Order: sequence, then structure tokens, then C-alpha cells
Amino acid sequence: MASRKKVSELQRPLWLLTPGGLLMTLIILIPLLLAIWISFIDLDQYTLRRWVEAPFIGIGNYVESFESGLPKSIWLSVSFAVLSTAVTVPIGIAAALVTQNAYRGRALVRAVFLIPYVLPSFVVASVWRTMLQPDGIVNETLGLGSTLWLSGSNSYWTLVLVEIWAAWPFIYLMALAGLQSVDNEVHEASAVDGTTWWPKLTRVILPYLRGPVLLACLLATLNHINNFTLPFVLFGAPAPDDVNVMPMLVYVTSFQGLRFGLSAAMAVLSLVLIAIPLYAYLRAVRLDVDK
Amino acid sequence: MSAQAEAQRLLPRPLLAVFTVLLCAMVLVPLAYIVLASLNSDVGVASGEFWPSSFTAESYTKIWTTADLSTGIVNSLIVCAVTAVASALLGTTTAYVLVRYTFFGRLTILRGLVGLQSIPGTLMLLPVFVLFSSAGNYLGLTVIGTRWGLFVAYLTFALPFSTWVMVTYLRGLPRELEEAARTEGASTITILWRIIIPLSLPAIVVSGIFAFLLGWNDVLFASVLTRPETHTAAVALSFFGSAQEGGALPVYSQMMAAALICAAPVVILYLVFQRYLVGGLTAGGVK
Repeated sequence: MASRKKVSELQRPLWLLTPGGLLMTLIILIPLLLAIWISFIDLDQYTLRRWVEAPFIGIGNYVESFESGLPKSIWLSVSFAVLSTAVTVPIGIAAALVTQNAYRGRALVRAVFLIPYVLPSFVVASVWRTMLQPDGIVNETLGLGSTLWLSGSNSYWTLVLVEIWAAWPFIYLMALAGLQSVDNEVHEASAVDGTTWWPKLTRVILPYLRGPVLLACLLATLNHINNFTLPFVLFGAPAPDDVNVMPMLVYVTSFQGLRFGLSAAMAVLSLVLIAIPLYAYLRAVRLDVDK
Repeated sequence: MSAQAEAQRLLPRPLLAVFTVLLCAMVLVPLAYIVLASLNSDVGVASGEFWPSSFTAESYTKIWTTADLSTGIVNSLIVCAVTAVASALLGTTTAYVLVRYTFFGRLTILRGLVGLQSIPGTLMLLPVFVLFSSAGNYLGLTVIGTRWGLFVAYLTFALPFSTWVMVTYLRGLPRELEEAARTEGASTITILWRIIIPLSLPAIVVSGIFAFLLGWNDVLFASVLTRPETHTAAVALSFFGSAQEGGALPVYSQMMAAALICAAPVVILYLVFQRYLVGGLTAGGVK
């Protein structure tokens, strides 16, 4: 046994890594390092084509980014992400609970629950944008006259509500996976004890969901912070002040303001922002076969 | 209802009914409006009808001339299909080595594969854009605005994702078959081709579909790296949506039809591969 292992270690076909590894180095690692480099140089539309020669300005871009709307965008992104996650968790868990027991038509209900998740983000944003127009169906149905949903101070709540509409099925899926890990004995024991539904739910069932739902929360929060498509398609660029979240700020600074160095500094800072949930997520994910 | 099913009941019946109805309504009411509006006329939708006064499919025929949707769909299909095939195949071989052999830096690579799925897209797009736009200057190549440039850009997300999907699948595959083949003298290529790929075909398809969806759903990269002839469906729809506002008569009905057309390929993929895709979504994360 020991000798066989040794042989297979000697024959490790690491060359098989070359195509994938080389490509990933070329298109991921090098660009990421370049992004960090760009954040230290004064790169704009004039120096773009000859970026090698663009002047090095140290932390100038980082200093400037704090003066050009970054703190507000960080606050908007974080509050938007946390709020969206906080609201989708109870909805997702409730959805998992109501589809756990078999009944006629359950498959159909489960399919319906997946719809917002399956629809592409740009489709969701496009249709909500249309429905939320001043003369659109939402104002028509709710009798709100021509309330503005896509500009001004309402836009933040529009962003949160549409994100919630689109994102809760992810929590639902993860909660469902957690529910399915509950053994039948647990149900039977509760039934024998005569536990009523509420204590059973809170004391017995929900603890089973803690792991998967916490993981889902981390991932969902990361996805909310990184969500570019929804604000971009809902509001267009440049976005109204109240929905100028991190990805929108970086996008507008680089591709409309053409200040590539400045926006690279902002993008690097947004990576620092997600580092905490990302670190927690990487710790929680099972990386290896043996663990 | 059997005693066992009764024991598994989590919520009292009335509560269950109320929640189910509420959740379904939350999804289905907007969806019903979208479908109804797409079957209405533009005038009907503009006058605020929920239920069309007359049903017509004219929005589905008009939209092809109003918006440049067909170019977008063709471009999306080409770029995403190539991305899907390339990242599924490369992902499979890379994942196989990552799962079966230990070497220096392996855990870092695995961590990187997971981490890359959560880094901001803008952080990736910026350097890619700078490299692409200077390629003309340094290498004499035009990259921005081409389909293959977009394909390379999509690989930055699709490749790590497909590789990770394959890692989660391959680590559950027993080693015995490979070891038996190896004692028979089979080479690594033979083992990959004859054993690993046939055994993991469903997972390879899933990783390819996910790569396809990443591309199909992308707006960020495509909005910067394409020009009108190479627009993807997502960009065509988004631009159409923002262009029609402020016009004399908004074409909301056509907008809804266009949105449903763009969603159709994705919905069809999910309907066909539902079991695999939904399983794959949650399999990656749970410890």
C-alpha cells in the first residue's frame, strides 16, 4: 500500500494543470495584480493606451477616493446588503417550511418559488423598471399618482425591494437543504413527546438550519454588495445619489469619468470591504476531500 | 394523511396555507402582469390595463425590428456557448488534478477558486479593459468590441466557477476504478478520457451550463467590451429599456415581450436540467 502511494506520487500528472493553470494566471492573476498597480498610477483616457508610462502617484488615488463619494457608497452598499439579507432570511425559511411536507401540488409551488431565482438579473431589473415607471402599472394599481420610484429618495427602497424579490429563493434553497438533513426520528420523537408546532419549530427544527442559513447569509450578503446588474439596469448610469452603490461608483468613475486609476483604488477598497464576509465564507466552505 | 407525514408536519395547516398563498402571490402577480402586458398592445399597456382588452401577439413580432434583439441573442449564444465548452473541459482536467493529487499550493488554489466567485466584477473588468484597450498599441490587436475578447473576459469568471463545480463533484467519485485501470497500465489521459469524463458527464454538463448562464446574465462586461454589432442580449435589452423612456408612446408591451424572450433560454435550461442545477447550487457550499 505504502509503495503504491509512493509510485502514484511520483507520477503526479501535474502537467495536466498547465492549460487551466496557465490560462487562469494569464487572465485572472495578472489582471488582478495589474488592478492593484493601476490603483497607484494616474491613469485616465489620455494615458490609457500607454498605461506602462502612466505616472506613479502612490496613495494619491486612495486619498482622492475618500473625497469623491466613496464613504457614502460604502454606507449605501453595506446597508443595502445587510437589509436585503435580513429580510430575505425569514421569507426563505418560511418558504422552505411550507414546502417541506408533501401535498398535492407541492412540486408546482416549488417551481413557482424558483422563478425569481431563475430569471436573469437583467430581465428582473428591466421588467421592474418598466412596471415602476411614473405612468406604470405599480402606481396605477396602488393609486399612487405618478410617484417616482426610479429617482430621488425612493430609489433606495426600490433597489432593496427588487433585490429582495429576486434573492429570497437562494435562502429558501439553502434552508430546504438544511431541512432535508433532519432525521425522521427527530420528528417522531417530537410527536411522541407531544410537542406543539411552535416549540418544535424553534427548539428542534431551526437549530438544524443554523449552519446552512448562516452560510447562505454570508454568500447572499457578498452577492448583494457585488450586485452591479440590478442598480445599473434599474436606474441607468450615472445612478441617482441614493443608489450609488460601490459597483456603480466604480463603473461610473472608470467608464464615464474615465479616471481609471481612481476607480481602481475604489475597487481595491471595495475588496477590503468584502474581505470580512469573504474570509468567514472561505473558512466555512468545505475545501478538501479529507476534512 | 399517514401518521408519519403528520409527525413531520412543521406548521399548522392554516398557517401553511396563508404563507404558501402569500409567497406564490408575491411571485406570480408581477409575473402574470408581465406575461399579460406582453400579450397586450403598447397602447393598452400605456393606458394602464392589467387585463388586456384584446389579446395580441404583435409585440412578439414587432420587437425584432424595434430593438436589435436578434443580433444580441445570436452574439450571446455564440460567446456563451464557447465559454461553456471551454470552461467545462479545462475545468474538468484542472479539477481532476486538484482532487486526486497533493502538491504545494493546492489549498491556495482551491481557496482562490471559491474566493474568485465573490470578488467584485468591477475589480476584474478594470484591468481587463486596460489590457484590451492597450493591446492595439502594444500588440497591434483590436480586442474591444470583438466576440473573442468578450469570451476571454467571461472565462475570468466562468473558468474558476466550472473548476469548483467539478472539484465538488469529483471528490465524491470513488478511486477504485482509476486504481484498477492504473494497475492495468492505463495512462492518465486514458483514465481521464475513458473513466473520469464518462462518469462525470452530468457534472460536466452542469458546470458548462453554469458557465453559459454567467455569460448570458452578464451586463457589466458586455456593456463595456462590446460595440453595437457585438452587443449581447442583456445589453440590447438594457439599452432598449433606457432608450424608450421620454418617448411619445412608451412601448412597454414590447419591452415585456423582449424581456420574456431573453429569459426563455435560461428558463428552458432550468426546466430541462432542473434536478442537476438545483442540486449543484447548494452542493458547493454546505459543510
